[in-house]
Amino acid sequence: MHKTADVIIIGAGIIGAAAGYYLAKKKLKVYVLEKKYPCYGSTGRCIGGIRQQYTHPLSINVMLENVRTFSTLKEELGKDVEWYQGGYLFLAHSEEKKKTYLDAIQIQKGYALPVRFVSSDDCTQIVNGLNTDGLLGGAYCPTDGQANPFAVTYGYLEGIKKLNGNLFTNTEIAKINTTQNKVVSVITTTGDEYFAPIIINAAGPWAKNVAEMAGINVPIDPERHESLVTEACERLFDPMLVDYRADGCYFIQNYGTGHFIGCYTPVPNDPGDHINASSEFITEMPRRMARIVPRLKDIKVIRQWAGSYEMTPDGNPIVDKTSIDGFYISAGMCGHGFMFGPGLGKFMAELVTDGKSSLPLGDFALNRSFGKTETMK
Amino acid sequence: MKKNTVICRCEEITEQEIVAVINQGYTSLDEIKRILRCGMGHCQGKSCIMIIARILSRMTGQQIERIKFPTSRPPLKPIPIATLAKYHQEHA
Repeated sequence: MHKTADVIIIGAGIIGAAAGYYLAKKKLKVYVLEKKYPCYGSTGRCIGGIRQQYTHPLSINVMLENVRTFSTLKEELGKDVEWYQGGYLFLAHSEEKKKTYLDAIQIQKGYALPVRFVSSDDCTQIVNGLNTDGLLGGAYCPTDGQANPFAVTYGYLEGIKKLNGNLFTNTEIAKINTTQNKVVSVITTTGDEYFAPIIINAAGPWAKNVAEMAGINVPIDPERHESLVTEACERLFDPMLVDYRADGCYFIQNYGTGHFIGCYTPVPNDPGDHINASSEFITEMPRRMARIVPRLKDIKVIRQWAGSYEMTPDGNPIVDKTSIDGFYISAGMCGHGFMFGPGLGKFMAELVTDGKSSLPLGDFALNRSFGKTETMK
Repeated sequence: MKKNTVICRCEEITEQEIVAVINQGYTSLDEIKRILRCGMGHCQGKSCIMIIARILSRMTGQQIERIKFPTSRPPLKPIPIATLAKYHQEHA
């Protein structure tokens, strides 16, 4: 087999699949190398939410592009990806949280985002059966939404195959070869060598290990987050509900199937790439869900699992070239990889072929100060 | 078996759909599950996953004992949200 391509992408999650697809559309021969199978990492373990409600200008711009991209993905990939604009509703249970949202809305309005602060009563109009105890209202953006991470990722990968590229599963890399500060090839754990002048590190939770193979240090560290899914039921409400209290959670009813799917952010955080499921989560998460929407009480939980958030110091991704010629990185998505993925894939393709992207990604640079943290994490 | 025989009853996936995905080159149960959702529904694969493993074995020649099965995760059977929440309150 001929093992030379124009671009090698390490990791078949949404980040690698989307970047690979837009590079293949620019007539480059793309090989995607995946250590297990597509979506094994964070993409296949996420809950599929897509929102524009951020405070960092670059994140808002990237997400505006993503909502445009998701809106046309069915036509682009020739398959239904279950894109549905049911909105996101961030609940405020304290004056402090309400102010955080109002400040965020001020920023977001500058980008023409149709976001508004809605009263507690309005919240119950949007989510029938919502518990309004202590609720001061919420930040609501109806054009946020959801899609199916598997459908999107496999859709992009099939696109790459049709565009003269290829996907290699069960193909884990052990070494990156460079010469005169330029990438040459990767060597797999079974000793195979794949050559390309461009290598993109899209290895998600393992991006730090992959970068180290080229002698680059990146501040990306995985943390475990847990999730659960319920049985399917009739449609109860549209938006992703986000409860930002210390013992809050977030969940959404899957548009395509009717299952409720959700998770919470562990306090304290749980560093490492382990993805075992805990008995603490499967009892605590239902308590938090039933507190917000009591009428979910009779719906049955069918599965729990876990996945990695790959965190950077400021909660924003790293999308950049590196000090090694031809070696790029798109990782450290901090739990937002699925929603960021398609747009970042387009911008990465531009960065590789034109030397810069149409949307300047300076605030996602590898060598930034990491000082300004995202308040809508 | 007829081509339109439903293999995964929870997600209503037929043999024909499973065969098509295997023919696309996805030859692990984990990939078939993620593409078609078979095994992601109410029974979590208890009724269909062995049948899919047999189809995979027949089509690829892999011995069934060597086929890797998707991870089993709690709960063993579906449990209502209220029951789980109550357990937490009583044991916290």
